[in-house]
Amino acid sequence: MNALTGRQKLAWAVVAIVILLYTLWPIFSILTTSFKAPSDIGTGKFWPSTWTGENYQTIFAGSAKDLFLPALRNSIGISLISTVIAVVLATFAAYAIARLDFLGKRLVLNTALAVSIFPIISLTTPLFNLWRQIGLYDTWVGLIIPYLSLTLPIAIYTLAAYFQQIPWDLERAAQVDGATTWQAFTKVIVPLAAPGVFTTAIIAFFIAWNDFVYGISLTSTSVARPVPAALAFFTGASQFEDPTGAISAAAIVVTIPIIILVLLFQRQIVSGLTQGAVKG
Amino acid sequence: MSSTATTAIPAASAAQAPEKQGRRRVSERTRSERRLGWILAGPAFIIMVAVTIYPILQAFYDSLFSFRLTAPGERRFIGLQNYGVVFSDSVFWRDLGVTVLITVITVAVELVLGFALALVMNNALKRMRGLLRTAILIPYGTITVVSAFAWFYMFDINSGYVNTWFSWLPGIGPDFDWFGSAAPALFVIMASEIWKTTPFISLLLLSGLAQVPSELTEAAKVDGASWWERMSRVIIPNMRAAIMVAVLFRALDAFRIFDNIFIMTNGAYGTETLSLLAYRTSIGRLEIGLGSAVSVVLFLLVILIAIIAIKGFKVDLASRGVK
Amino acid sequence: MDVPYSPPRRRRRGVALALVTGMVAVAALSGCSSQGGGSGAPTLTWYINPDSGGQAEIAQRCSAQSGGAYSIKTSLLPRQASSQREQLARRLAAGDTSLDIMSLDPPFVPELAEPGFLAPVPAALAQSSTADAVEGAVKGATWKGKVVAVPFWANTQLLWYKKSVAQQAGLDMSKPVTWDQLMDAARKTHKQLGVQGIRAESMTVWVNALYESQGQSIITNPGAPGDQIQLGLDSPAGQEAARIVGTIGRDGLGGPGIATQNEDVTRQNWQGPDGSFMVNWPFVYTAAQSAVKEGTLDKSVLDDMGWALYPRVSADKETAPPFGGIVLGVGAKSRHVDQAFQAVKCITSTQNQSYYFVSNGNPPASKAAYDDPEVQKAYPMANVIRQSLELAKPRPQTQFYNEVSTGIQQRWTPLDAVTQQTPKETQDFITAVLKGDRLL
Repeated sequence: MNALTGRQKLAWAVVAIVILLYTLWPIFSILTTSFKAPSDIGTGKFWPSTWTGENYQTIFAGSAKDLFLPALRNSIGISLISTVIAVVLATFAAYAIARLDFLGKRLVLNTALAVSIFPIISLTTPLFNLWRQIGLYDTWVGLIIPYLSLTLPIAIYTLAAYFQQIPWDLERAAQVDGATTWQAFTKVIVPLAAPGVFTTAIIAFFIAWNDFVYGISLTSTSVARPVPAALAFFTGASQFEDPTGAISAAAIVVTIPIIILVLLFQRQIVSGLTQGAVKG
Repeated sequence: MSSTATTAIPAASAAQAPEKQGRRRVSERTRSERRLGWILAGPAFIIMVAVTIYPILQAFYDSLFSFRLTAPGERRFIGLQNYGVVFSDSVFWRDLGVTVLITVITVAVELVLGFALALVMNNALKRMRGLLRTAILIPYGTITVVSAFAWFYMFDINSGYVNTWFSWLPGIGPDFDWFGSAAPALFVIMASEIWKTTPFISLLLLSGLAQVPSELTEAAKVDGASWWERMSRVIIPNMRAAIMVAVLFRALDAFRIFDNIFIMTNGAYGTETLSLLAYRTSIGRLEIGLGSAVSVVLFLLVILIAIIAIKGFKVDLASRGVK
Repeated sequence: MDVPYSPPRRRRRGVALALVTGMVAVAALSGCSSQGGGSGAPTLTWYINPDSGGQAEIAQRCSAQSGGAYSIKTSLLPRQASSQREQLARRLAAGDTSLDIMSLDPPFVPELAEPGFLAPVPAALAQSSTADAVEGAVKGATWKGKVVAVPFWANTQLLWYKKSVAQQAGLDMSKPVTWDQLMDAARKTHKQLGVQGIRAESMTVWVNALYESQGQSIITNPGAPGDQIQLGLDSPAGQEAARIVGTIGRDGLGGPGIATQNEDVTRQNWQGPDGSFMVNWPFVYTAAQSAVKEGTLDKSVLDDMGWALYPRVSADKETAPPFGGIVLGVGAKSRHVDQAFQAVKCITSTQNQSYYFVSNGNPPASKAAYDDPEVQKAYPMANVIRQSLELAKPRPQTQFYNEVSTGIQQRWTPLDAVTQQTPKETQDFITAVLKGDRLL
């Protein structure tokens, strides 16, 4: 890259700052709200008059502890499990789609497509009734299954695109060189496929982590209620008081894992979303 | 972002046709491959179908009844009457209007913003790319409900600071109630929606941008085409597929908007969308029949949009990642 | 590669079934069960509305007192009354056996009692729990002449005011005041009148109080089936109610943010410099006290705080303040109905009701509890609250409460759009919704 002139440098810096402001502002805004005391909420000011950790105290050790901590546990557990299952199943499916010729391949892809555009609000009532009947209501499994409908389509698409680009000939070459099928698979194909699978997992996790509709319709207790749904259960010091601070604190806590994942894996996520690009 | 799988994934480029061999052998191999294919793809397929097709069929069945959950004894078959109620009610049409309005505006704004972001990222210096990627992925990963609360608390007349900060703008002042009427409330709702989903659209456009053959743009440059001419004559036409896919996916997503509205206004003052109507009717009122009818209509509308886009604009959805 | 199960051969359905069965098995194995032990004392689940921890404390106390007959664990319901109802109604309708004890908002009792979702209250408990309870609480726990729930605590709105502003406006607060007087006072002093104008349950609370204060009920034949419900909305009382609400809205007396103002925002605004009079629940007093303690509210505001009965509509007719609170119901499908009622009896003891008031600010349903010296000490307005509860009128009792209430909320907000046509429009709208001719 050629050296930039001072003006170009400045222009890029301005652009970068504008983009950073745009993308980070709402998070920053709720961060400052989370440090406000309840009586400091209505002042119309951006910064807290006095910084207080009492909202974090409330959700981790105080009155909202029994609401927030189980919800956090549920969100983490359910999202991770559904991510793992989705990625495993999608890996099989994507492998089949990318490598095998079978009748119905198009059907699988189109189904994934149709499922991904489904208005999930239409599904909640029938699922509620079915889950009640077979005992899945308000359980982890009862959320994991519907989460799969959210995560599987994108996982299949991303992985299929990714597998499409893997030079499968290497596998045969390895076999020619005397490796067994299994060796060829684990030594050659797995290392090539692993980054794609990993990226897909992160994207699937984001989607499961984001869910709200299933969370509010298919759970009823802290046994399975995830964080986004639990935010509606927060309360202030009494029934009628608004829990602005506690919600903000909880919102920040559930955003932290996202920020960590993004910081560590931004390159992979972008390539996964822009589909199977191997090089950054 | 250099190499991206652009066109038709999988299906089109099927495995090589088996070499000409004995007929029986071919069919045997085909059969075993087909079986393996279904063994591998089956579980994912079955789960996707089970979680969506079964409930929507159930919803269609339920929509033919007058059925209130708290009056199970009064359940009776009424045919398509629920649909009559839905289509003859101004509430439905108003909510449809709001839904379409939100969809059109958010997608249009996102397309422009997303394109700008994609251009920036495409041309950015190597060492800035990581920073920009990180920045735009944060909205993408943020929970919609969190985004809704963040924007709500920012603008709310009671807890927000926007009124104080922007009181120099005409019409805005400490007394402006953003969530007290439709237009400003929809503005904030759409802002939250746009903030959260623009990154996705910009990434799709970025991959489209990467596919524009650089020889073409170089050639145009040599021919003395201005930046704008290069954009409108070379780059954008070559990105048509990527743009259409991005628009369609986002449009279908925006059409189902729920979380932001549920948190910010719960549909008050003319901010209700079809998803919210479906939720309020079947879960709020426990009118399973009527609510299912709204759900089915919503479903059919989504399908309709998809079909129109795919047939009318020839968008090859199967070639592209999905949200 | 190993696949989890054999491939689909003929029927995909079979595989789907197997898959679901497998998942169910996983669910069973993963130990998510919430039932009490097979033998010994049952664990009762008490679904509570959010509070400051009082119900959890009472649950512990009663578990300890039961001598091993049962133990109670609490499970939280959402914050909004309407969402609480959604949770409970859906699960009760589905025959959920884990709903042992439920904290219910009284307006939603008929909807749950009508289809028999609530277990009948044993005669002795019905008798003892209602004998001493305030009028509104008894009504709220009764459906079609039967006690279907047990009063736990009762809530009512008072008129809270700044003594300084009342003086400035020349209002004698020792006498009953009317809405018109309050509106005049707000105009005169250029202050805000604290009412709840948000499109939510609080709107129905207000509208109902305005009707009932004129002796007009919103539903004139409670208990009627959906298509035969007679509404009293379109009436002279409705005109008067619409005049009050519409004037407050159009004259901006409720402040700029009235369209989104809920109970807590009303309180915060009242504490500010523009506050004058407000109608609100007694939590405003406890909240002001703790704000003073935290140093975020000047003590002079608390000292300036006065209270009186809810305003009248006309000077010569007694007011009918809003009624709220919680009654306890027992799920009809509960596996431990007997123990659940024993627990309810313990929870609603006069002693626990006083404790709940003193610790959480929620007033008792039992009249005797107000004589508790601790209550009197903690709440100088305890007697006014008791008096208000005696006068209070519950919201319309109907199994279609959600439709009626939502209909009112939609037509009576925003306040400045309320006109003389509003009562009739609301009546026609709700009637059409109840007939199934309209969406809500």
